[in-house]
Amino acid sequence: MNPRLKRFWSAQLALTPAWLIVIFAYIGTILWTVQISFTSSKVFPVSNYVGFAQYSRLFASDRWMISVNNLFIFGGLFIVGCLVIGFLLAVFLDQRIRAESMFRTIFLYPYALSFIVTGLVWQWTLNPTLGIQQTVRNWGFESFTFDWLTRGDRAIYVVALAGIWQSSGLVMAILLAGLRGVDGELWKAAKVDGIPTWRVYLHVVIPILAPMFVTATVLLATAVVKVYDLVVALTNGGPGISTEVPAKFVIEYLFQRQNLGLATAASTVMMITVLCVLAPWLYWQYFRQPRSAR
Amino acid sequence: MTSVDLAAGPSGPRPKRLTAGRVGLYAFLVIAALFFLIPLYVMIITSLKPMSEIRLGNLFALPSDPSFYAWAKAWSSACTGLNCDGIHVGMLNSVKILIPSVIVSISVGAVTGYALSFWRPKGSNFLFAVLLLGAFIPYQVFLYPLVRMLSIVSLYNSIPGVVFVHSIFGLPLMTLLFRNFYAGIPIDLFKAARVDGGGFWAIFLRLMLPLSTPIIVVAAILQITGIWNDFLFGLIFAGRENFPMTVQLNNIVNSSFGEKEYNVNMAATILTALVPLFVYFVSGRWFVRGIASGAVKG
Amino acid sequence: MKHVSKALLGAAASLAILAGSAFAAEKAEVIHWWTSGGESAAVKVFADQFNAQGGEWVDAAIAGGEAARAAGINRIVGGNPPTAMQFNTGKQFEDLVAQGLLGSLDEVAAADGWAKFLSPVLVKAVSRDGHFYAVPVNIHSNNWLWYNADVLAKNGIEPPKTWDELFAALDKLKAAGVIPMAQSGDAWTQLLLFNDVVLGVGGRDLFLKIFQDNDMEAIKSPEFKKVAETFGKLREYGDAGQQGRQWNQATGLVIDGKAGFNFMGDWAKGEIIAAGLTPGKEVGCVPGLGNQVYWIGGDVFVFPKTDNADAQKAQKLLAHVMLEPDTQVAFNAKKGSVPVRADVDTSKLDVCAQEGLKLLAKPDGAVPGTDFLQTPDTLGSLQDAIGQFWTTPSQTPDELVAKVVSIWESK
Repeated sequence: MNPRLKRFWSAQLALTPAWLIVIFAYIGTILWTVQISFTSSKVFPVSNYVGFAQYSRLFASDRWMISVNNLFIFGGLFIVGCLVIGFLLAVFLDQRIRAESMFRTIFLYPYALSFIVTGLVWQWTLNPTLGIQQTVRNWGFESFTFDWLTRGDRAIYVVALAGIWQSSGLVMAILLAGLRGVDGELWKAAKVDGIPTWRVYLHVVIPILAPMFVTATVLLATAVVKVYDLVVALTNGGPGISTEVPAKFVIEYLFQRQNLGLATAASTVMMITVLCVLAPWLYWQYFRQPRSAR
Repeated sequence: MTSVDLAAGPSGPRPKRLTAGRVGLYAFLVIAALFFLIPLYVMIITSLKPMSEIRLGNLFALPSDPSFYAWAKAWSSACTGLNCDGIHVGMLNSVKILIPSVIVSISVGAVTGYALSFWRPKGSNFLFAVLLLGAFIPYQVFLYPLVRMLSIVSLYNSIPGVVFVHSIFGLPLMTLLFRNFYAGIPIDLFKAARVDGGGFWAIFLRLMLPLSTPIIVVAAILQITGIWNDFLFGLIFAGRENFPMTVQLNNIVNSSFGEKEYNVNMAATILTALVPLFVYFVSGRWFVRGIASGAVKG
Repeated sequence: MKHVSKALLGAAASLAILAGSAFAAEKAEVIHWWTSGGESAAVKVFADQFNAQGGEWVDAAIAGGEAARAAGINRIVGGNPPTAMQFNTGKQFEDLVAQGLLGSLDEVAAADGWAKFLSPVLVKAVSRDGHFYAVPVNIHSNNWLWYNADVLAKNGIEPPKTWDELFAALDKLKAAGVIPMAQSGDAWTQLLLFNDVVLGVGGRDLFLKIFQDNDMEAIKSPEFKKVAETFGKLREYGDAGQQGRQWNQATGLVIDGKAGFNFMGDWAKGEIIAAGLTPGKEVGCVPGLGNQVYWIGGDVFVFPKTDNADAQKAQKLLAHVMLEPDTQVAFNAKKGSVPVRADVDTSKLDVCAQEGLKLLAKPDGAVPGTDFLQTPDTLGSLQDAIGQFWTTPSQTPDELVAKVVSIWESK
């Protein structure tokens, strides 16, 4: 066989599982989902097409609008919170401190826990009648109040807090690895020139770490769009519907409220949003400069 | 686990003796550590208390008479409905799901990443783009069609079925990891192997795979924790007899008889978290090192 | 002719049942969401009876009605159905029938003579186009007010008969530092409370106009506004620990004397009995506060279609066992509900159940549950609006009315 042909043949063969998955499990399911979203399907898919009726109902729905809003609040706080805390932890750990590995382990362990576990733990800790509020009151501060978990206007911040607790260790680990890659000469040079440490971090180190920040943001953003278990375990969407998120909306209308049409319309909207935001970025990141050599 | 294990030592500015800044630094770290540890502390001590003590609301107080009653109950006799087998059944199921899922998803991811970064056959950009987007699309979009597809091939409600689903959704991240890792390997190395007449599989098995240990470890850690901690797929695809531990945990926590037994719930929660915690404690340094060796760099 | 063939079929079915019980262990995997103390005691009656008659009950309890239904529907859709699964009486299983995924129960129904002892409302609820598709197992009523007799006595409160008396009592309890009203954080319990107010303050006609006739005028009427106002006022009497509390824990607060009142369906009795108390004594009951209307709901089991002959046998046996008179009495006593059979001895039921039966016997004394009348989709949207209103003290009753209007308009 022509070696050039063979080369592509074996590479394509090796990619067969990936192709099958992409074609059937990704593209096929997506098309199916989009198709259902234009029908009036309830428990089962039917082919009674209703145009954009499901979409107009979707955007008239309070629950959906709240879910979308929450996704932005949660996503913003979660990503920024994780990046800031993760970065601070990484920088502080990088100061030749004692017991570094102990601290590192402590900051990273929550990432090993599932969102289900994280949600349950914080639900117990922040339950006003059982957790921190009650404990502080027992210490004698009778009027101490920390009941955000039970307040419709604050509960989403608790969800973000639990998320940050779980994931900032990951950011710390990624950035710490990046910091270890920073040339030691840099610090000597900065010292000679008398530049304050914080300025070196701000103007030199952070730009060097930019790819690490991007990686971390990508990983965190993935978690944000998919957030489901955390909310289920921590608040189950409550109080009321104040901590609902889109993924939960989809699952609930898919299986419990028996409205496939609306559920698939919601997931289609999520998907299109993700595509619009990500496609340019992914292109820039991965396809802009094809690797010159082969 | 010492800093020697890291790719390089700390690189921050050389410390000056004990200054106010230094004290502040330790203070920050200790406070942060407390914030990270409090929930674990609460879980552990609560699991050792009897309910009469928990009701008082002294969340942080040490148990006056610690007992492992709640642990035993969570492990072997906590109830969901009429089944009072505790959480140990789920542990075995989780292991049965975990091992094949990790092996399959990493193998496929490694081969795909390798083919995408060195060989780039026709259509590989498209394939990679779809995979990348797939990493971001919420699973909910795929669920319903997948249920139908798996039932056509009789894999629904079985361990192979749930392994298959984990492999599908693990593929984007695994491919990304390996592709980026291989992108960091000098292309000349690959070219030399080609000149020597190495084929697709020969180069992969003899050259690339031995180089890949750090990234395989990172991939394994990510997959082990990710799959062990999964809730949604286990609930929907595994079937009742194969429910993983997370699903059982949620069932136990949410079926209360009169009063919520917080001690049993916390013990069950810790038991569920043990495996991934163990993996992290044992391999924490590998994780950082794996990332340092160019793992996920963008 | 039709009757003859029905009778023959019936005879064949009874034979099949007898034959079935002669052989060992018909396995039946049953999905249900009865996981609280009282509930599992009740479901155990079914399991024991079924096992005693040669079956083998495989319990597949999944906590939470929504989760259990989702899991069951997934399995049916996935072609690996359970032998039987639970639904609430009403529209929840309609699509399964329409898709032809449920087995018809006509044989068993004819053999056991369901038409003779089931009330017409129930027959209508479990059959479609003249065929039976579900076994009704209980009649629940949703609108009960439970109170701790001790707590009320200590604070000099008589059990309320009107909503005004209730509010007076709630104020007293609040002043005394007791949780006035135990409320769960689960959205369905908030919806239940709301419907209690619709019936108790608005009345039977308003309820039926809204839920049965979809009458927009009724939703915009001053009566409905008064309902929204009363419901809004109740928000002041819950405590801070609602979020994350389940219904049985809310009832538990009343049982333990930590709270005065709790609005919950009659399944709360299961918890009271499981705690070793007597409903109507330590924990008192007021059915249908206000207008004395009984709001009925219940549970049914459906049997997904299967080609497996053994599974079919198990399904028939189970459908038969669930409706046997003795099973019905024992099950419902534990569950806190009323038997579906009109021909069983109800004298052994507790005081509260007796009161409920009195209401049931009254003409116009009952309304069908919302599950009978509206789709899960609409009820879900209503539940969202109610939950949001309940947990947002700044939301006004007018805003709630406007939301309900828009939900009904978008149906």
